[in-house]
Amino acid sequence: MRNEPEPGILTWGVIIVVTCLILYLFERILWLVVPGLLTLVGYYCLQPLVQALVRAGLKHRTAGKVVTGLLFLVTVLGVILLLSLATTRAAGWKAVTTHYVQGGLDFLGKTEAQLVEKLPMVKRSALVRSTPTNLDAAAGQFVDNYLGRLLLQMVHWVPSLLLVPYLAYFILQDGNRFKKHMIRSVPNAFFEKTLLLFDRVDRSLQSYLIGMVKLTFLDTACLGLGLWLLGISYPILLGLIAAVLAWLPYVGSVVGCVLVVMVAATDFSNEPVIIYGCMVLFICVRLLDDFVFLPLTVGRSLRVHPVLSVLMLFLGAAVAGPAGLLLVLPVLGVVAVITETLRQILTDERLRKRYRHARQLQRTMAEVG
Amino acid sequence: MKWSFNFLRVSADDQRIENLKGLSLFKRLTARELRELDELLHQRSYQKDEVIFDEGDTGLGLFIVLSGRVKIVSSHAALQHLAPEFGPGDCFGELALFEEEQRTARAVALEPTQVLALFRTEFVSLLERDRGIGVKILFELSRMVVWRSRKLLANQPHLPTV
Repeated sequence: MRNEPEPGILTWGVIIVVTCLILYLFERILWLVVPGLLTLVGYYCLQPLVQALVRAGLKHRTAGKVVTGLLFLVTVLGVILLLSLATTRAAGWKAVTTHYVQGGLDFLGKTEAQLVEKLPMVKRSALVRSTPTNLDAAAGQFVDNYLGRLLLQMVHWVPSLLLVPYLAYFILQDGNRFKKHMIRSVPNAFFEKTLLLFDRVDRSLQSYLIGMVKLTFLDTACLGLGLWLLGISYPILLGLIAAVLAWLPYVGSVVGCVLVVMVAATDFSNEPVIIYGCMVLFICVRLLDDFVFLPLTVGRSLRVHPVLSVLMLFLGAAVAGPAGLLLVLPVLGVVAVITETLRQILTDERLRKRYRHARQLQRTMAEVG
Repeated sequence: MKWSFNFLRVSADDQRIENLKGLSLFKRLTARELRELDELLHQRSYQKDEVIFDEGDTGLGLFIVLSGRVKIVSSHAALQHLAPEFGPGDCFGELALFEEEQRTARAVALEPTQVLALFRTEFVSLLERDRGIGVKILFELSRMVVWRSRKLLANQPHLPTV
Protein backbone atom coordinates (compact mmCIF):
# COMPACT_ATOMS: atom_id res chain seq x y z
CA MET A 1 0.00 0.00 0.00
CA ARG A 2 1.38 3.38 -1.00
CA ASN A 3 1.58 6.03 1.72
CA GLU A 4 -0.50 9.05 0.80
CA PRO A 5 0.22 12.45 2.34
CA GLU A 6 -2.02 13.40 5.28
CA PRO A 7 -4.58 16.15 4.54
CA GLY A 8 -3.28 19.65 5.34
CA ILE A 9 -4.84 22.32 7.57
CA LEU A 10 -6.70 23.90 4.65
CA THR A 11 -8.22 20.55 3.67
CA TRP A 12 -9.31 19.91 7.26
CA GLY A 13 -10.82 23.41 7.39
CA VAL A 14 -12.84 22.64 4.27
CA ILE A 15 -13.87 19.26 5.74
CA ILE A 16 -15.11 20.85 8.98
CA VAL A 17 -17.01 23.65 7.22
CA VAL A 18 -18.64 21.26 4.74
CA THR A 19 -19.55 18.87 7.58
CA CYS A 20 -21.25 21.70 9.50
CA LEU A 21 -23.15 22.82 6.40
CA ILE A 22 -24.34 19.27 5.72
CA LEU A 23 -25.42 18.84 9.35
CA TYR A 24 -27.36 22.11 9.16
CA LEU A 25 -29.07 20.90 5.99
CA PHE A 26 -29.68 17.41 7.42
CA GLU A 27 -31.32 18.89 10.50
CA ARG A 28 -33.82 20.63 8.19
CA ILE A 29 -34.64 17.40 6.30
CA LEU A 30 -34.34 14.98 9.18
CA TRP A 31 -37.54 13.23 8.03
CA LEU A 32 -35.54 12.08 4.99
CA VAL A 33 -32.12 11.63 6.60
CA VAL A 34 -33.23 9.19 9.33
CA PRO A 35 -34.93 6.76 6.87
CA GLY A 36 -31.85 7.11 4.66
CA LEU A 37 -29.56 6.17 7.54
CA LEU A 38 -31.77 3.24 8.54
CA THR A 39 -31.85 2.12 4.91
CA LEU A 40 -28.05 2.11 4.80
CA VAL A 41 -27.89 0.08 8.03
CA GLY A 42 -30.42 -2.37 6.57
CA TYR A 43 -28.56 -2.53 3.27
CA TYR A 44 -25.20 -3.32 4.87
CA CYS A 45 -26.80 -5.91 7.19
CA LEU A 46 -28.72 -7.65 4.39
CA GLN A 47 -26.05 -7.45 1.69
CA PRO A 48 -24.23 -10.64 2.87
CA LEU A 49 -27.56 -12.49 2.68
CA VAL A 50 -28.08 -11.35 -0.92
CA GLN A 51 -24.52 -12.40 -1.78
CA ALA A 52 -25.10 -15.80 -0.15
CA LEU A 53 -28.23 -16.29 -2.30
CA VAL A 54 -26.27 -15.27 -5.42
CA ARG A 55 -23.64 -17.87 -4.51
CA ALA A 56 -26.45 -20.39 -4.10
CA GLY A 57 -27.36 -19.79 -7.74
CA LEU A 58 -29.97 -16.99 -7.76
CA LYS A 59 -29.57 -13.96 -10.02
CA HIS A 60 -28.64 -10.75 -8.21
CA ARG A 61 -32.01 -9.06 -8.82
CA THR A 62 -33.93 -12.16 -7.73
CA ALA A 63 -31.81 -12.48 -4.59
CA GLY A 64 -32.53 -8.80 -3.80
CA LYS A 65 -36.25 -9.40 -4.22
CA VAL A 66 -36.22 -12.50 -1.99
CA VAL A 67 -34.31 -10.78 0.82
CA THR A 68 -36.43 -7.62 0.70
CA GLY A 69 -39.58 -9.76 0.61
CA LEU A 70 -38.41 -11.54 3.77
CA LEU A 71 -37.61 -8.19 5.39
CA PHE A 72 -41.06 -6.88 4.50
CA LEU A 73 -42.70 -10.03 5.91
CA VAL A 74 -40.74 -9.80 9.17
CA THR A 75 -41.55 -6.06 9.46
CA VAL A 76 -45.28 -6.64 8.88
CA LEU A 77 -45.35 -9.50 11.43
CA GLY A 78 -43.42 -7.33 13.91
CA VAL A 79 -45.81 -4.40 13.48
CA ILE A 80 -48.88 -6.66 13.85
CA LEU A 81 -47.39 -8.24 16.99
CA LEU A 82 -46.52 -4.82 18.43
CA LEU A 83 -49.96 -3.40 17.67
CA SER A 84 -51.78 -6.36 19.22
CA LEU A 85 -49.56 -6.11 22.31
CA ALA A 86 -50.14 -2.34 22.47
CA THR A 87 -53.92 -2.64 22.29
CA THR A 88 -54.13 -5.32 24.98
CA ARG A 89 -51.51 -3.97 27.34
CA ALA A 90 -51.54 -0.21 26.77
CA ALA A 91 -53.18 0.49 30.12
CA GLY A 92 -50.68 -1.78 31.87
CA TRP A 93 -47.72 -0.03 30.16
CA LYS A 94 -48.99 3.36 31.29
CA ALA A 95 -49.25 2.12 34.86
CA VAL A 96 -45.77 0.54 34.71
CA THR A 97 -44.23 3.73 33.27
CA THR A 98 -45.86 5.92 35.93
CA HIS A 99 -44.78 3.45 38.60
CA TYR A 100 -41.12 3.54 37.54
CA VAL A 101 -40.97 7.31 36.97
CA GLN A 102 -42.44 7.81 40.44
CA GLY A 103 -39.87 5.34 41.83
CA GLY A 104 -37.03 7.29 40.22
CA LEU A 105 -38.31 10.58 41.59
CA ASP A 106 -38.69 9.09 45.06
CA PHE A 107 -35.10 7.84 44.91
CA LEU A 108 -33.94 11.30 43.86
CA GLY A 109 -35.83 12.89 46.76
CA LYS A 110 -34.49 10.34 49.25
CA THR A 111 -30.89 10.82 48.08
CA GLU A 112 -31.30 14.56 48.29
CA ALA A 113 -32.68 14.33 51.83
CA GLN A 114 -29.79 12.08 52.91
CA LEU A 115 -27.27 14.47 51.38
CA VAL A 116 -28.76 17.45 53.19
CA GLU A 117 -28.87 15.46 56.44
CA LYS A 118 -25.22 14.41 56.24
CA LEU A 119 -23.88 17.59 54.63
CA PRO A 120 -25.98 20.50 55.88
CA MET A 121 -24.07 22.98 53.77
CA VAL A 122 -25.51 21.34 50.64
CA LYS A 123 -28.50 23.41 49.66
CA ARG A 124 -31.38 21.98 47.73
CA SER A 125 -30.69 22.29 44.01
CA ALA A 126 -33.11 24.08 41.74
CA LEU A 127 -33.56 20.88 39.73
CA VAL A 128 -34.68 18.79 42.69
CA ARG A 129 -36.93 21.47 44.12
CA SER A 130 -38.77 21.73 40.82
CA THR A 131 -39.31 17.96 40.59
CA PRO A 132 -43.06 17.23 40.55
CA THR A 133 -43.94 14.83 43.31
CA ASN A 134 -47.54 14.35 42.21
CA LEU A 135 -47.14 12.36 39.01
CA ASP A 136 -50.84 12.21 38.14
CA ALA A 137 -51.02 16.01 38.02
CA ALA A 138 -47.81 16.12 36.02
CA ALA A 139 -49.17 13.53 33.60
CA GLY A 140 -52.35 15.57 33.11
CA GLN A 141 -50.27 18.66 32.46
CA PHE A 142 -48.18 16.69 29.94
CA VAL A 143 -51.29 15.46 28.08
CA ASP A 144 -52.69 19.01 27.87
CA ASN A 145 -49.48 20.63 26.72
CA TYR A 146 -47.56 18.11 24.68
CA LEU A 147 -49.58 15.03 23.68
CA GLY A 148 -51.21 16.64 20.65
CA ARG A 149 -47.88 17.88 19.37
CA LEU A 150 -46.27 14.48 20.05
CA LEU A 151 -48.99 12.65 18.12
CA LEU A 152 -48.61 15.07 15.21
CA GLN A 153 -44.86 14.42 15.21
CA MET A 154 -45.50 10.66 15.14
CA VAL A 155 -47.93 11.02 12.24
CA HIS A 156 -45.31 13.16 10.48
CA TRP A 157 -42.63 10.48 10.96
CA VAL A 158 -44.61 7.34 10.04
CA PRO A 159 -44.72 7.91 6.23
CA SER A 160 -41.03 8.73 6.08
CA LEU A 161 -40.14 5.61 8.09
CA LEU A 162 -42.20 3.58 5.64
CA LEU A 163 -39.63 4.65 3.06
CA VAL A 164 -37.04 2.37 4.70
CA PRO A 165 -38.11 -1.01 3.22
CA TYR A 166 -38.93 0.71 -0.09
CA LEU A 167 -35.45 2.31 -0.36
CA ALA A 168 -33.76 -0.87 0.91
CA TYR A 169 -35.48 -2.84 -1.85
CA PHE A 170 -34.11 -0.59 -4.58
CA ILE A 171 -30.62 -0.32 -3.12
CA LEU A 172 -30.33 -4.09 -2.66
CA GLN A 173 -31.65 -4.81 -6.13
CA ASP A 174 -30.19 -2.00 -8.24
CA GLY A 175 -27.65 -0.24 -6.00
CA ASN A 176 -24.68 -1.74 -7.81
CA ARG A 177 -26.08 -0.95 -11.26
CA PHE A 178 -26.77 2.62 -10.17
CA LYS A 179 -23.20 2.95 -8.91
CA LYS A 180 -21.86 1.59 -12.22
CA HIS A 181 -24.01 4.05 -14.17
CA MET A 182 -22.68 6.92 -12.08
CA ILE A 183 -19.09 5.80 -12.62
CA ARG A 184 -19.75 5.43 -16.36
CA SER A 185 -20.54 9.15 -16.56
CA VAL A 186 -17.09 10.05 -15.15
CA PRO A 187 -14.44 11.00 -17.77
CA ASN A 188 -11.84 8.29 -18.44
CA ALA A 189 -9.02 10.34 -16.92
CA PHE A 190 -10.68 10.33 -13.48
CA PHE A 191 -12.20 6.87 -13.69
CA GLU A 192 -9.77 4.98 -11.46
CA LYS A 193 -9.71 7.72 -8.81
CA THR A 194 -13.52 7.80 -8.81
CA LEU A 195 -13.61 4.04 -8.24
CA LEU A 196 -11.21 4.57 -5.36
CA LEU A 197 -13.47 7.30 -3.95
CA PHE A 198 -16.59 5.11 -4.12
CA ASP A 199 -14.72 2.24 -2.53
CA ARG A 200 -13.43 4.40 0.35
CA VAL A 201 -16.85 5.93 1.07
CA ASP A 202 -18.48 2.51 0.93
CA ARG A 203 -15.90 0.96 3.25
CA SER A 204 -16.05 3.86 5.74
CA LEU A 205 -19.84 3.78 5.95
CA GLN A 206 -20.03 0.01 6.04
CA SER A 207 -17.45 -0.44 8.78
CA TYR A 208 -18.97 2.41 10.85
CA LEU A 209 -22.63 1.38 10.57
CA ILE A 210 -22.05 -2.37 10.85
CA GLY A 211 -19.64 -1.66 13.72
CA MET A 212 -22.35 0.33 15.49
CA VAL A 213 -24.86 -2.51 15.04
CA LYS A 214 -22.37 -5.03 16.46
CA LEU A 215 -21.62 -2.64 19.32
CA THR A 216 -25.35 -2.38 20.08
CA PHE A 217 -25.61 -6.17 20.29
CA LEU A 218 -22.55 -6.42 22.56
CA ASP A 219 -23.80 -3.62 24.82
CA THR A 220 -27.27 -5.20 25.00
CA ALA A 221 -25.75 -8.56 25.95
CA CYS A 222 -23.44 -7.11 28.63
CA LEU A 223 -26.03 -4.77 30.14
CA GLY A 224 -28.77 -7.41 29.95
CA LEU A 225 -26.57 -9.98 31.71
CA GLY A 226 -25.44 -7.49 34.36
CA LEU A 227 -28.98 -6.25 35.06
CA TRP A 228 -30.27 -9.83 35.19
CA LEU A 229 -27.57 -10.73 37.74
CA LEU A 230 -28.59 -7.67 39.80
CA GLY A 231 -32.22 -8.84 39.64
CA ILE A 232 -33.62 -5.83 37.75
CA SER A 233 -36.93 -6.23 35.86
CA TYR A 234 -36.89 -6.42 32.02
CA PRO A 235 -33.05 -6.75 31.82
CA ILE A 236 -32.79 -7.44 28.06
CA LEU A 237 -35.31 -4.73 27.10
CA LEU A 238 -33.56 -2.16 29.30
CA GLY A 239 -30.16 -3.23 27.96
CA LEU A 240 -31.41 -2.88 24.37
CA ILE A 241 -32.93 0.57 24.98
CA ALA A 242 -29.74 1.78 26.69
CA ALA A 243 -27.56 0.33 23.89
CA VAL A 244 -29.66 2.03 21.19
CA LEU A 245 -29.60 5.31 23.12
CA ALA A 246 -25.79 5.03 23.18
CA TRP A 247 -25.85 5.81 19.41
CA LEU A 248 -26.10 9.39 20.65
CA PRO A 249 -22.50 9.88 21.83
CA TYR A 250 -22.08 10.74 25.56
CA VAL A 251 -25.67 12.03 26.09
CA GLY A 252 -27.25 8.69 25.13
CA SER A 253 -25.26 6.70 27.72
CA VAL A 254 -26.32 9.10 30.50
CA VAL A 255 -29.99 8.91 29.47
CA GLY A 256 -29.78 5.10 29.33
CA CYS A 257 -28.20 5.00 32.79
CA VAL A 258 -30.94 7.28 34.23
CA LEU A 259 -33.59 4.99 32.75
CA VAL A 260 -32.11 1.89 34.38
CA VAL A 261 -31.58 3.70 37.70
CA MET A 262 -35.29 4.66 37.68
CA VAL A 263 -36.29 1.00 37.30
CA ALA A 264 -33.78 -0.15 39.93
CA ALA A 265 -34.86 2.59 42.36
CA THR A 266 -38.46 1.39 42.08
CA ASP A 267 -37.76 -2.35 42.30
CA PHE A 268 -35.26 -1.95 45.13
CA SER A 269 -36.27 1.27 46.86
CA ASN A 270 -34.80 0.10 50.19
CA GLU A 271 -31.61 -1.35 48.76
CA PRO A 272 -29.41 1.48 47.50
CA VAL A 273 -26.55 -1.01 46.94
CA ILE A 274 -28.44 -2.43 43.94
CA ILE A 275 -29.01 1.08 42.52
CA TYR A 276 -25.36 1.98 42.89
CA GLY A 277 -24.55 -1.45 41.42
CA CYS A 278 -26.48 -0.43 38.28
CA MET A 279 -24.44 2.76 38.03
CA VAL A 280 -21.19 0.79 38.45
CA LEU A 281 -22.43 -1.65 35.76
CA PHE A 282 -22.98 1.24 33.36
CA ILE A 283 -19.52 2.67 34.04
CA CYS A 284 -17.95 -0.78 33.50
CA VAL A 285 -19.82 -1.31 30.22
CA ARG A 286 -18.82 2.22 29.12
CA LEU A 287 -15.15 1.38 29.84
CA LEU A 288 -15.51 -1.96 28.04
CA ASP A 289 -16.98 -0.05 25.08
CA ASP A 290 -14.17 2.46 24.93
CA PHE A 291 -11.25 0.09 25.40
CA VAL A 292 -12.41 -3.28 24.04
CA PHE A 293 -15.62 -3.23 21.99
CA LEU A 294 -15.14 0.02 20.04
CA PRO A 295 -11.66 -0.90 18.75
CA LEU A 296 -13.00 -4.36 17.83
CA THR A 297 -16.13 -3.14 16.02
CA VAL A 298 -16.07 0.46 14.78
CA GLY A 299 -12.29 0.82 15.26
CA ARG A 300 -10.69 3.54 13.20
CA SER A 301 -13.22 3.04 10.41
CA LEU A 302 -13.68 6.78 9.94
CA ARG A 303 -9.96 7.57 10.13
CA VAL A 304 -10.61 10.68 12.25
CA HIS A 305 -8.39 11.63 15.20
CA PRO A 306 -10.16 11.12 18.60
CA VAL A 307 -9.54 14.76 19.63
CA LEU A 308 -11.13 16.02 16.42
CA SER A 309 -14.04 13.58 16.96
CA VAL A 310 -14.78 15.08 20.39
CA LEU A 311 -14.50 18.65 19.08
CA MET A 312 -16.80 17.80 16.18
CA LEU A 313 -19.35 16.31 18.59
CA PHE A 314 -19.61 19.70 20.33
CA LEU A 315 -19.79 21.47 16.98
CA GLY A 316 -22.38 19.00 15.65
CA ALA A 317 -24.56 19.48 18.74
CA ALA A 318 -24.28 23.27 18.41
CA VAL A 319 -25.22 23.22 14.71
CA ALA A 320 -27.95 20.57 14.66
CA GLY A 321 -28.78 19.56 18.25
CA PRO A 322 -29.33 15.85 19.04
CA ALA A 323 -29.48 15.05 15.30
CA GLY A 324 -26.05 16.65 14.95
CA LEU A 325 -24.69 14.46 17.76
CA LEU A 326 -25.99 11.34 16.04
CA LEU A 327 -24.86 12.24 12.53
CA VAL A 328 -21.66 14.21 13.01
CA LEU A 329 -19.19 11.29 13.06
CA PRO A 330 -20.41 9.39 9.97
CA VAL A 331 -20.87 12.66 8.04
CA LEU A 332 -17.38 13.84 9.07
CA GLY A 333 -15.85 10.51 8.01
CA VAL A 334 -17.52 10.52 4.59
CA VAL A 335 -16.81 14.22 3.95
CA ALA A 336 -13.16 13.67 4.92
CA VAL A 337 -12.81 10.81 2.43
CA ILE A 338 -14.56 12.71 -0.40
CA THR A 339 -12.69 15.99 0.18
CA GLU A 340 -9.30 14.30 0.38
CA THR A 341 -9.87 12.23 -2.77
CA LEU A 342 -11.20 15.26 -4.67
CA ARG A 343 -8.16 17.25 -3.55
CA GLN A 344 -5.91 14.51 -4.93
CA ILE A 345 -7.79 14.54 -8.25
CA LEU A 346 -7.90 18.33 -8.61
CA THR A 347 -4.25 18.86 -7.73
CA ASP A 348 -2.98 16.07 -10.01
CA GLU A 349 -1.71 17.93 -13.06
CA ARG A 350 -1.19 14.65 -14.98
CA LEU A 351 -4.85 13.68 -14.65
CA ARG A 352 -6.05 17.14 -15.68
CA LYS A 353 -3.68 17.09 -18.65
CA ARG A 354 -4.98 13.68 -19.70
CA TYR A 355 -8.56 14.94 -19.41
CA ARG A 356 -7.77 17.99 -21.60
CA HIS A 357 -6.08 15.69 -24.12
CA ALA A 358 -9.19 13.45 -24.29
CA ARG A 359 -11.44 16.51 -24.78
CA GLN A 360 -9.16 17.70 -27.56
CA LEU A 361 -9.36 14.29 -29.25
CA GLN A 362 -13.14 14.38 -28.93
CA ARG A 363 -13.32 17.82 -30.55
CA THR A 364 -11.01 16.73 -33.36
CA MET A 365 -13.13 13.64 -33.98
CA ALA A 366 -16.28 15.77 -34.07
CA GLU A 367 -14.73 18.16 -36.56
CA VAL A 368 -13.50 15.35 -38.80
CA GLY A 369 -16.82 13.46 -38.50
CA MET B 1 -44.37 -3.44 -23.48
CA LYS B 2 -42.92 -3.85 -20.01
CA TRP B 3 -42.47 -7.56 -20.51
CA SER B 4 -40.68 -7.15 -23.78
CA PHE B 5 -38.34 -4.60 -22.17
CA ASN B 6 -37.50 -7.00 -19.34
CA PHE B 7 -37.00 -9.78 -21.84
CA LEU B 8 -34.50 -7.62 -23.73
CA ARG B 9 -32.64 -6.71 -20.56
CA VAL B 10 -32.30 -10.36 -19.45
CA SER B 11 -31.17 -11.20 -22.94
CA ALA B 12 -28.51 -8.47 -22.85
CA ASP B 13 -27.32 -9.75 -19.47
CA ASP B 14 -27.01 -13.29 -20.80
CA GLN B 15 -25.14 -12.03 -23.87
CA ARG B 16 -22.67 -10.20 -21.65
CA ILE B 17 -22.13 -13.33 -19.54
CA GLU B 18 -21.56 -15.30 -22.73
CA ASN B 19 -18.96 -12.74 -23.85
CA LEU B 20 -17.19 -12.96 -20.49
CA LYS B 21 -17.04 -16.74 -20.81
CA GLY B 22 -15.11 -16.24 -24.05
CA LEU B 23 -12.28 -14.38 -22.26
CA SER B 24 -9.33 -16.61 -21.38
CA LEU B 25 -9.02 -15.14 -17.89
CA PHE B 26 -12.56 -16.22 -16.99
CA LYS B 27 -12.82 -19.41 -19.03
CA ARG B 28 -12.93 -21.64 -15.92
CA LEU B 29 -15.81 -19.77 -14.29
CA THR B 30 -19.36 -21.13 -14.27
CA ALA B 31 -22.35 -19.04 -15.41
CA ARG B 32 -23.25 -18.32 -11.77
CA GLU B 33 -19.67 -17.20 -11.00
CA LEU B 34 -19.58 -15.04 -14.13
CA ARG B 35 -22.79 -13.30 -13.04
CA GLU B 36 -21.20 -12.52 -9.67
CA LEU B 37 -18.06 -11.24 -11.37
CA ASP B 38 -20.05 -9.19 -13.88
CA GLU B 39 -21.32 -7.03 -10.99
CA LEU B 40 -17.74 -5.86 -10.45
CA LEU B 41 -16.63 -5.18 -14.02
CA HIS B 42 -16.67 -1.67 -15.48
CA GLN B 43 -16.83 -1.14 -19.22
CA ARG B 44 -14.99 1.91 -20.64
CA SER B 45 -14.60 3.29 -24.16
CA TYR B 46 -11.44 5.07 -25.32
CA GLN B 47 -10.81 7.08 -28.46
CA LYS B 48 -7.81 6.60 -30.74
CA ASP B 49 -4.65 7.97 -29.04
CA GLU B 50 -6.38 8.34 -25.66
CA VAL B 51 -4.26 7.37 -22.65
CA ILE B 52 -5.78 4.54 -20.58
CA PHE B 53 -3.20 4.79 -17.83
CA ASP B 54 0.14 6.49 -17.58
CA GLU B 55 3.57 5.47 -16.36
CA GLY B 56 3.85 6.58 -12.73
CA ASP B 57 0.10 6.39 -12.04
CA THR B 58 -0.91 4.41 -8.99
CA GLY B 59 -2.12 1.07 -10.33
CA LEU B 60 -5.65 0.34 -9.14
CA GLY B 61 -6.89 -2.38 -11.46
CA LEU B 62 -6.62 -4.74 -14.40
CA PHE B 63 -7.91 -4.01 -17.92
CA ILE B 64 -9.21 -6.51 -20.49
CA VAL B 65 -9.53 -5.50 -24.14
CA LEU B 66 -12.97 -6.19 -25.58
CA SER B 67 -12.43 -4.52 -28.95
CA GLY B 68 -9.76 -2.35 -30.54
CA ARG B 69 -6.02 -2.32 -29.85
CA VAL B 70 -3.88 -0.98 -27.01
CA LYS B 71 -0.19 -0.16 -27.17
CA ILE B 72 2.17 -0.22 -24.18
CA VAL B 73 5.03 2.29 -24.04
CA SER B 74 7.60 2.46 -21.25
CA SER B 75 10.64 4.52 -20.35
CA HIS B 76 12.13 1.48 -18.58
CA ALA B 77 15.13 0.11 -20.46
CA ALA B 78 13.95 -3.51 -20.17
CA LEU B 79 10.57 -2.71 -21.68
CA GLN B 80 11.48 0.07 -24.10
CA HIS B 81 12.28 -2.05 -27.13
CA LEU B 82 9.32 -4.39 -26.66
CA ALA B 83 6.40 -1.97 -27.16
CA PRO B 84 3.77 -4.73 -27.11
CA GLU B 85 0.23 -4.41 -28.41
CA PHE B 86 -2.89 -5.97 -26.96
CA GLY B 87 -5.99 -6.97 -28.87
CA PRO B 88 -9.43 -8.39 -28.01
CA GLY B 89 -9.28 -10.92 -25.16
CA ASP B 90 -5.87 -9.76 -23.88
CA CYS B 91 -5.44 -8.20 -20.47
CA PHE B 92 -2.91 -5.69 -19.20
CA GLY B 93 -2.11 -3.85 -15.98
CA GLU B 94 -2.54 -7.10 -14.06
CA LEU B 95 0.16 -6.31 -11.47
CA ALA B 96 -2.16 -3.66 -10.02
CA LEU B 97 -4.40 -6.49 -8.81
CA PHE B 98 -1.65 -7.59 -6.44
CA GLU B 99 -0.11 -4.34 -5.20
CA GLU B 100 -0.87 -0.63 -5.22
CA GLU B 101 2.36 0.47 -6.89
CA GLN B 102 3.18 2.87 -9.70
CA ARG B 103 2.52 1.70 -13.26
CA THR B 104 5.73 0.90 -15.14
CA ALA B 105 4.33 1.77 -18.55
CA ARG B 106 1.78 3.87 -20.40
CA ALA B 107 -1.22 2.26 -22.14
CA VAL B 108 -2.62 4.09 -25.19
CA ALA B 109 -5.57 3.13 -27.38
CA LEU B 110 -4.37 2.70 -30.98
CA GLU B 111 -7.94 2.82 -32.32
CA PRO B 112 -11.39 3.25 -30.76
CA THR B 113 -11.18 0.67 -27.98
CA GLN B 114 -13.49 -0.87 -25.43
CA VAL B 115 -12.07 -2.35 -22.26
CA LEU B 116 -13.35 -4.00 -19.09
CA ALA B 117 -11.77 -2.86 -15.83
CA LEU B 118 -11.54 -4.97 -12.69
CA PHE B 119 -10.76 -2.81 -9.67
CA ARG B 120 -8.34 -4.28 -7.10
CA THR B 121 -10.35 -3.64 -3.92
CA GLU B 122 -13.52 -5.02 -5.51
CA PHE B 123 -11.56 -8.09 -6.61
CA VAL B 124 -10.19 -8.52 -3.07
CA SER B 125 -13.71 -8.30 -1.61
CA LEU B 126 -14.80 -10.97 -4.12
CA LEU B 127 -11.89 -13.17 -2.98
CA GLU B 128 -12.97 -12.75 0.62
CA ARG B 129 -16.54 -13.84 0.03
CA ASP B 130 -16.07 -16.44 -2.73
CA ARG B 131 -12.65 -18.05 -2.77
CA GLY B 132 -13.67 -20.48 -5.50
CA ILE B 133 -13.90 -17.68 -8.08
CA GLY B 134 -10.71 -16.12 -6.75
CA VAL B 135 -8.73 -19.32 -7.10
CA LYS B 136 -9.86 -19.80 -10.73
CA ILE B 137 -9.05 -16.23 -11.76
CA LEU B 138 -5.77 -16.13 -9.85
CA PHE B 139 -4.74 -19.43 -11.43
CA GLU B 140 -5.28 -18.04 -14.93
CA LEU B 141 -3.57 -14.77 -13.98
CA SER B 142 -0.57 -16.66 -12.59
CA ARG B 143 -0.28 -18.68 -15.80
CA MET B 144 -0.33 -15.49 -17.83
CA VAL B 145 2.23 -13.73 -15.62
CA VAL B 146 4.54 -16.77 -15.73
CA TRP B 147 4.20 -16.98 -19.51
CA ARG B 148 4.96 -13.29 -19.95
CA SER B 149 7.91 -13.44 -17.54
CA ARG B 150 9.39 -16.32 -19.50
CA LYS B 151 9.01 -14.39 -22.72
CA LEU B 152 10.60 -11.35 -21.11
CA LEU B 153 13.50 -13.39 -19.77
CA ALA B 154 14.00 -14.97 -23.15
CA ASN B 155 14.14 -11.39 -24.47
CA GLN B 156 11.42 -12.05 -26.97
CA PRO B 157 9.31 -9.07 -28.04
CA HIS B 158 5.97 -10.47 -26.94
CA LEU B 159 3.58 -9.31 -24.24
CA PRO B 160 5.77 -8.44 -21.26
CA THR B 161 4.21 -8.04 -17.82
CA VAL B 162 3.34 -4.40 -17.28
